Amino acid sequence: MTPIHALADFGPAEVFALPFMWRALLTVAVLAVAAGVVGLFVSFRELEFVSDGLVHAVFPGLVVGSAIGGAAGLLPGAAIAAILAAVLFTVIERRGGIGADAAIAVVLTGLFSLGVVLVSRQEGYVSQLQELLFGRLLTVSAAELWQIAIVATAAVLIVLVTRRAQLYRAFDAAGAEAAGLRPFAADLQLGIAVALLVVAGVQALGVLMVIALLTVPMAAARLITRGFALLIPIAILLPLVAGVAGLWLSFEWSVGSGATVSPGAVVVLLLVALYGAAAVVRLVGGARSPRRTQAAGPADAGLAGVGAGAADASPEPEECR
Amino acid sequence: MSYFALAALELTLLGLLSGLAGTLIVLRRRSFFAVALSHATFPGGVVFALVGWNLLLGQALFAGVLVVLMTLLSRVPGQGRQVASGVVLSFGFALGTLLASLNPGLGVPVEALLVGSPLAVAPTDVAATGAVLVVALAILVLSWRRILFHTFDPIGFAASGFRVWPVELVVTGVIAASVVVAMPAVGAILGVAVIVGPAAAARVLAPWLEWIPPISAVIGVSGGLIGLWASREFGIAAGGSVGLVITAMFLLALLARAVLSGRVGRRARRSGPVPATVKGRTTAEVRDAAAAEA
Repeated sequence: MTPIHALADFGPAEVFALPFMWRALLTVAVLAVAAGVVGLFVSFRELEFVSDGLVHAVFPGLVVGSAIGGAAGLLPGAAIAAILAAVLFTVIERRGGIGADAAIAVVLTGLFSLGVVLVSRQEGYVSQLQELLFGRLLTVSAAELWQIAIVATAAVLIVLVTRRAQLYRAFDAAGAEAAGLRPFAADLQLGIAVALLVVAGVQALGVLMVIALLTVPMAAARLITRGFALLIPIAILLPLVAGVAGLWLSFEWSVGSGATVSPGAVVVLLLVALYGAAAVVRLVGGARSPRRTQAAGPADAGLAGVGAGAADASPEPEECR
Repeated sequence: MSYFALAALELTLLGLLSGLAGTLIVLRRRSFFAVALSHATFPGGVVFALVGWNLLLGQALFAGVLVVLMTLLSRVPGQGRQVASGVVLSFGFALGTLLASLNPGLGVPVEALLVGSPLAVAPTDVAATGAVLVVALAILVLSWRRILFHTFDPIGFAASGFRVWPVELVVTGVIAASVVVAMPAVGAILGVAVIVGPAAAARVLAPWLEWIPPISAVIGVSGGLIGLWASREFGIAAGGSVGLVITAMFLLALLARAVLSGRVGRRARRSGPVPATVKGRTTAEVRDAAAAEA
């Protein structure tokens, strides 16, 4: 046990110089940047529930992928499942109506059930299920890091290339359609970008904690700033801080006191804690200085456009500029 | 009573419960709330498993905490309910994961907490489900008209001088209690499948609103029992099997409606560009949606 105890004396710089910690840190950094960019539109278009659906839908893909190609099959399986699900959920959202959110709920539990049923047919059911659900941030290999980087870059590129259409659609759905932008194409591109980000994050953070990456940073950023230009930098910075602190904390915790810690869970909990702090500050600050401007935000545009989840929208106008 | 009969009884009761709670979730669009709540009960189960107390009690307590948390978060300016659900979901699931990972091999039934195990339900779990069913039925029989009024015309409801918070309290309470009692059988991830799935299918099929609860109950009960049978017949995880069967029934319901109304829909689509606000939906649907959005 001496080598492990010797590690406990390392400072942060030495800890992150360890190859596996370095790779975990890079993974978190890549995911933070991608989530900041894609999360902007998840938040503007109120796609939190759709993201949750995509997160679940990736699970059967992972199961089938690992059954066919072992560890190498995980990413292709997840990517195929995620893109199919993105198309499916975009169609459900498009058809809209009252039933859209219930339909998403049914489809997401159905796809997850499919994954569970497929896993339960295999050997080592319980351990495999847990590995897929909880992720393994510290055992990301160099090859997997490259895969994650490529998939995340693809997600960011899709959003950057279509950003004008996406913004127009988010703030003025009817205007965008009248100007000749095809809403279904924009929705589908955004859905696929979110799906790719889910695929990038799923191996590191696990099937369910990816949802935190997609929703929490931007929600916190929108609490912290009212400036549009600052939203993405803040949404990138928050998971980065939570990631560095969480990785270091779980390293100290597991090496120093010998506990087994899920680093992904620590990172997500710190991220949620940052969100909580932002919410408290906003509540206290909001009580002190009542809002002066009430600009119409993308949430209101979303009401007219998508329809789904509209009842879940905040009754108050959003402030975003 | 054999474990198989107990599982069948539990799934039957949950199917009936889907007629009540599922209908509320579907009509009031609380699906994401239900999904987030069910996922986030996970740490409650882990803590109570570590201490050795009743898992269901831990999940129920934690669900209560989370409902309060979500209500508080949705009061933060600029934060919709979707955001609150997403945050609470992330928080609960990460907390459960951390607690489970800190205590490996201490008998935390992680996979039972997450995907359920209908064949391992205890008589107390079945009793709890039955109690929730009876209480929810009693409460909803008393408050059904008012809930319906608020669901479809919230402005008229407020204008008529009714208070909104009792409706929200009843609806949230019934949904949360139903999601929690579904946990032992289908787990934190698939919990909503048995509750929301049948009601969503019933909404597709029902010609009138009053038909949704009975159709949902029939679909819920038969889906649960078919899923249970399939899991024994093919040797697959029972929770997943039930979820899959109910999803299949939802898809069949969609298919049935598409076949029945196919001609009408095709004609509407062929008539060229339609105003963005109508988009192939019937007048009644648009009116309902407008009422729900207002």
